[in-house]
Amino acid sequence: MHEMSIAVGLMEQVFDVAEKNNLKEIEEIEIEAGFLRQIVPEVMQQAFLAVRQDTIARNATLKIIEVAPLSECNICKKQFQPSLNDFLCPTCRKADVKVLKGDEIILKSIQGKESK
Amino acid sequence: MKVTIAKRILKDNDAIAEKNREIFKNADLLAVNFISSPGSGKTTLLEKTISALLPEQKTTVIVGDLQTTRDADRLESNALDVVQINTGMSCHLYANQVTESLSGLNVNEADYLFIENVGNMVCPGEFDLGENIKVVLLSIPEGDDKVAKYPTVFRAADIVLLTKVDLLGVLNFDIDHVVSDIRKLNSKVEIVHVSSLNGEGMSQWVSWLKSKRQESVGKKAKFIADV
Repeated sequence: MHEMSIAVGLMEQVFDVAEKNNLKEIEEIEIEAGFLRQIVPEVMQQAFLAVRQDTIARNATLKIIEVAPLSECNICKKQFQPSLNDFLCPTCRKADVKVLKGDEIILKSIQGKESK
Repeated sequence: MKVTIAKRILKDNDAIAEKNREIFKNADLLAVNFISSPGSGKTTLLEKTISALLPEQKTTVIVGDLQTTRDADRLESNALDVVQINTGMSCHLYANQVTESLSGLNVNEADYLFIENVGNMVCPGEFDLGENIKVVLLSIPEGDDKVAKYPTVFRAADIVLLTKVDLLGVLNFDIDHVVSDIRKLNSKVEIVHVSSLNGEGMSQWVSWLKSKRQESVGKKAKFIADV
């Protein structure tokens, strides 16, 4: 369900970038989705189909790159891969971490045709 | 033409949230975002909490719901003022909705702003509203598997209130299992058992809130999207 909110936020960014770069038609949008954000690619694609309608992105494709999670223990500084339900440091056995990767949802790039 | 960007998708919301946080700081207000599923007891807890803080400390409230003003009507008697936001089909509040509500609230006279988010365990955790702390409620009737099912919101919580604990003897709910699931996500989070019905845990929760009033005004709440 949160995919729709994310798709709406994504399109705001996309239109902003398109305007600044004088793009009249968008062909491809590339996003990075951290594993911990639990974005379901199929649902995200459906949400994208809904938000791209009647816009300069109406024929665009959405490429989703999943980013694996990585966290760092705030106590011993060990880096490890957490799972969705387990952020315990393998050394300290405490879940007191900084998430280095996996929480992001980033607009990476836009491919489009420029206005003449 | 390919344009490389690398920007956070929700950055527009985050920028508005940052401005909200500045307004709260200038008003010397603690902004608290209450997140839970529908029916966990948010409104009742808010009613009791607002009363418990009186007469020394005053609270102003923003309530988010898809429809109706029922929650606002319930909170009106003790709160300084209440704004109800009907989100229609949106399952969470946005930072700009909070900004728009502020004109109807006397933030300078209040000590706390309670934001009762739309009942939902997923989306509200992703949208910064400008709050200083996040309170997550989990009620006993919801079942002891909910932390494992919705881990993200618990990871970002400052405190987890296990609500309706008066039902612990009636329903099959393994509280140790829930606490262990929470601790796997967040070793530091405060966990308090409360019952709005019989008052259990209320003084512990209210004392915690008052201590946060002292130390967290102006601070940014933990967000999952800070990478």
